Amino acid sequence: MPRYPRLRSLKEINSVMTRYYVQRKVLARIKPLAYVTSGAPVEILEAMGVLTLYPENYGALCGARGAAVGLCQVAEAQGFPADLCSYARSHIGAVLRPSDAPLSGMPRPDLLVCCNNICGTVLKWYEALAALYDVPLFVIDVPFQRTTPAEPYVVAYVADQLREFVAWLEAHTGRRLKPNRFHSALALSREAVALWQEVLAFGQHRPSPINAPDLFVAMAPIVALRGTRRAVDCYRRLKAELEERVAQGIGAVPGERYRLLWDNIAIWYRLYRFFRPFMDAGACFVADTYTNAWTVELDLDDPFVGLARAYSGVFINMSLPTRLRIIADLARRFQVDGMVMHANRSCKPFSITQDDVRDELRDELDLPVLIIEADMCDARLYNEGAVRERVAAFLETLEML
Amino acid sequence: MQSPVSNLQYPISNLQSPLGFLTAYVPEELFHAAGFTPIFIFHTADAHGFARAHLPGFTCWVAGSALDQALAGRLDGLAGMALAQTCDTTQGLTDLWRRNVPHIPLFHFGMPLRLGSPSARAYLLAELQSLRERVQALAGRPIPDDALRESMALYNRTRALVRRLYARAALGDIAPPDLYGLVRAAFQMPKETYNQEIGSKMQELSPLPSCAPAPLLLLVGPALADPVLFDVIAQAGARVVGDLLDLGERYFAVDAVEHGDPLAALADRLLALVPTPTKHHPQRTRAAHLLSLVQERSADGVIFARQKFCEPHGFDYVQLAHALDQAGVPHLLVELEQASQAGQLRTRVEAFVEMLA
Repeated sequence: MPRYPRLRSLKEINSVMTRYYVQRKVLARIKPLAYVTSGAPVEILEAMGVLTLYPENYGALCGARGAAVGLCQVAEAQGFPADLCSYARSHIGAVLRPSDAPLSGMPRPDLLVCCNNICGTVLKWYEALAALYDVPLFVIDVPFQRTTPAEPYVVAYVADQLREFVAWLEAHTGRRLKPNRFHSALALSREAVALWQEVLAFGQHRPSPINAPDLFVAMAPIVALRGTRRAVDCYRRLKAELEERVAQGIGAVPGERYRLLWDNIAIWYRLYRFFRPFMDAGACFVADTYTNAWTVELDLDDPFVGLARAYSGVFINMSLPTRLRIIADLARRFQVDGMVMHANRSCKPFSITQDDVRDELRDELDLPVLIIEADMCDARLYNEGAVRERVAAFLETLEML
Repeated sequence: MQSPVSNLQYPISNLQSPLGFLTAYVPEELFHAAGFTPIFIFHTADAHGFARAHLPGFTCWVAGSALDQALAGRLDGLAGMALAQTCDTTQGLTDLWRRNVPHIPLFHFGMPLRLGSPSARAYLLAELQSLRERVQALAGRPIPDDALRESMALYNRTRALVRRLYARAALGDIAPPDLYGLVRAAFQMPKETYNQEIGSKMQELSPLPSCAPAPLLLLVGPALADPVLFDVIAQAGARVVGDLLDLGERYFAVDAVEHGDPLAALADRLLALVPTPTKHHPQRTRAAHLLSLVQERSADGVIFARQKFCEPHGFDYVQLAHALDQAGVPHLLVELEQASQAGQLRTRVEAFVEMLA
């Protein structure tokens, strides 16, 4: 079996993330801790010294460590229907039975902050958490962007809520949002986002020094450590390593033959194993729609309006024509030969329009597209044999092009 | 004897400028005032096989059926279609409709998520104004404030009639299929006709024998569920005395104020409704509302009729079931799919009703 070069920085990122979870457990005894959704304006919390943890990131961890199915079953035994989001079921299962959960579960939150720019499911998930923990919940409503750019009154609505959010946080934590700390959190967030964009752009090289499964590991700090120095440091190191690879002509997939685009959240319980047959056939996933979600630039002039714009403009909150434009642009810039889409039962915003995205890519860009039905965490919905066959058939199609 | 409800069918072709809608948050009056006849696009048990080319298998059939009917040409008479922002599936349907059903213009209405906040009201007013402008453009004529107030008055009369219907149901005096036949008609008939005819239809419904020791039920779920369910409940010998269905009692509970700024009246009505599970209101919780309904109607049990793959109602079920458990109120969850399994449904509902009796 061929061996693939590993990125040293990924190991570092993994240890940064493990330290992050461990430190949170200790620090949560002395500082307020908030659970936040992946698309929440975390810079405000960071600036106020409120610790954050991401149940979605934890759900991914449960999936990657093979603990999700057991935890989902714990939630299902409490009445949560089995067709609900598997991040939510995994995490709720971990709350109900921490003894079965990775890292013995997450420390108890003092506050819950839920932003619906990534999906509507998080509202229900966080309401369930508010009931389980009996702690205050702040909901930030970021309307679906049916036209781009968002109407001024939509941006004003989100900005108003962010100001209200600050007042709510100040009331619940007794802490103040100091302008200088706010500015430095925003600047660090902006810097991390810029570095992350540079990291993603490395996929444009031939051969690409990075493959999508690497990005799924590398993304953790941009999700969970935005607005901190550590995220910036992680991506500086990763960027340097990728520069090194490019200089030496090292590809993530040696002998790169095909360049592919990935759509949707990772299949966490098969992270590298799913991609292995692609790598063995010389196919590298040079770009994806998932890790691109954290690339919206912050405008620092009016921080609340800047945050409102940035968090409204995340990929998954955009209308289909805008998303199609983004995907077609990725396909062209990264010169891809095809696309693989994960029809993810747990993520409706990502999955519902996939058939139409496939049709568009086939018709407009003449690209072969494979849709794999699976789930990001619930391995019971993964049909190993069927996936293997479909992947093999797709790779044969690429061969014939 | 045939139920007086059974002939309340209004094909699209008989309506004047019919405008379809989905979700429980579309301000129907705005469309009515522009000359359209808003009708809800209920899901049907039969599939034409068109939606599956565009929707993954894990999409709820309420959304799937609407797209399927549209792609099959069954909705071609519609002058437009309206959707309010509610769940992720509806949001996806907005995109798919625009792309695949371009001959029926779609109106997306950005109903806010946080119903309790002042900023939500300001945003809702701006969304109503935007919708008004978009509807005016389609109608090719302005919607004067007075026309809007007249439409609201008409809708208020409908709401009052439906509330009378529920008041009778609360006494256990209407068979569930008749109750929901008449409620459903309010979504499918022109309100002018409904308001004229429904009073006499109600009179025609003979009171049910009151001596029967029928268990009294409340229903919780998304759309007006499935007619099969109502038949099954009736045949099991139970009565429905109220509900927390998205398109049920809550939808008709609050009138629009007929004076002052009409858009503000529409906004305040939408904000005052008991929220569906797609919305968040820190003070007005569904669990508290359901418990007070149980008490007020002396309900013996609650049936949750959840559409398979519906996330908001799936999570909501857990919260509400927990509240009912604590109050010692029995409940049953049934899952509805495209074609209801009448046999299975019957067995479960009968067992539940027997247990209550």
